[in-house]
Amino acid sequence: MSNSNQQAKEDLGTRVQAMVKRAIQRNVKGLEFISAPKAPVGLTPKDIIYKRGTLRLYHYHPLSHEVYRVPVLLVMATTNKAFVFDLAPGQSMVEYLLKSGFDVFVIDWEPPTIGERGLTLEDYTQDFIPACVDKVNQTTGEPDLSIIGYCAGGMLSTIYAATHTDGPLKNLVCLTTPINFHAMGLTQVWQDKRYFDVDRLVDTLGIIPADIVTQGFEMQRPAQRIAGQLRVWEQMWNDEFVKSFRAFERWGNETLPLPGEYMREMTKELLWDNKLYKGELRAGGKVANLANIEVPVLSVVAEHDHLVPFEASKPLLELVGSDDKEEILLNGGHVSLIAGPNAIRRMWPRLNAWLSERSV
Amino acid sequence: MSEKRSKDPGEVFRELVTEWERGFDQLANSLMGTENFSRSMNQMQDVQMAVRGAFREFMTDNLTNANMPTRDDVVQIAQSLKSLEKRMERIETLLQGMTSNSDPEAIPPRGGPPRTKRPPSETGAEANP
Repeated sequence: MSNSNQQAKEDLGTRVQAMVKRAIQRNVKGLEFISAPKAPVGLTPKDIIYKRGTLRLYHYHPLSHEVYRVPVLLVMATTNKAFVFDLAPGQSMVEYLLKSGFDVFVIDWEPPTIGERGLTLEDYTQDFIPACVDKVNQTTGEPDLSIIGYCAGGMLSTIYAATHTDGPLKNLVCLTTPINFHAMGLTQVWQDKRYFDVDRLVDTLGIIPADIVTQGFEMQRPAQRIAGQLRVWEQMWNDEFVKSFRAFERWGNETLPLPGEYMREMTKELLWDNKLYKGELRAGGKVANLANIEVPVLSVVAEHDHLVPFEASKPLLELVGSDDKEEILLNGGHVSLIAGPNAIRRMWPRLNAWLSERSV
Repeated sequence: MSEKRSKDPGEVFRELVTEWERGFDQLANSLMGTENFSRSMNQMQDVQMAVRGAFREFMTDNLTNANMPTRDDVVQIAQSLKSLEKRMERIETLLQGMTSNSDPEAIPPRGGPPRTKRPPSETGAEANP
């Protein structure tokens, strides 16, 4: 028998052995998977330093002996929990930033109560964010800070920045942030003002339930959930994959309800009239003209983002008045841009490099 | 004899799933991205809202007749509590301000590591932790 035949037989033997081993593990671990409690998330040590209604402000414990002078405030989208920034040790953007030497604060949201159904864009951008900014400055003793906003959190941060030009903002980072709402793809079609009666929805419900919000996301990728289940079944032997899958799944399942008035305003002012893009949006008696923003701006966008398409985020850099501005277009989707292997490899190091230069 | 190795069955499975997902999503998006779909979906939602609205009125009437607080009553109480909470917070902030004014040296920024870190471009250190 030739050497190559012998080698092929050995290879086949090894592969069959691996397949059988995986099949056994799949069955054993599959049972564990079904009966497992919720995936532990958000484990990086932190203190809640401020809370009011739906708002929570976390301060994370430092993980380096020396930190940059300028603290960082992450602003989460109002539709989701902020633990996507801190999924699990080794898969946590917060942990990465802490180890890179940043002093990290995060704005998170709890489900709004029915008493908070009247919250508007103005409450988020002229009250919640400024209150947290003050807390960060008070806590650190520093006069300025950087803000990193994700998705709608980026949009709120942008409105805050445009209406607080003399405030303490030093750098603004927007991660997949919608600006041109007329480029919002399916969301725009489904909320067409001729057919979508937002007033009836808000007046009837008061608070927009999480299942309606989730439905809006999942309908854009209807096969995603089933494909995810198939992938995890195939990878059931792979503990790291399963751990990451369960954390992401939990995040997707814990979508937040939205205050009705906020939803009404988002629909009318942004989706229909595109006022942020046109520079006509008013918040707190001020016009949120993006040209007012003159601090350094970094916009990070994902090539395959189905929720906030590239065309919707792209105008940010064209519209801001900053001289120091940069856009990073990365391979990946809406969520894989900020968490998971893609983010660890691509986005976090770029964010660290940009921010560290501007945080002294 | 070909030396080319055949693919791992797991990899083949993953590729199939990815292909199926992409194809299904594309098809679904093309069907759901139309004006007709939007109109039908929103009509259904309007019907749902009308039913919910009618049910809410029915419940409110029944609760009122039974001399029980309605949802709106409970919301009103919650809002009053919230406004009290806000006032308390304002008073707390004022008190904190008064305390710090009386002793200017008692404004302790949170302890922790020194805020002296320099970017890797200046120190030549490894950029990633």
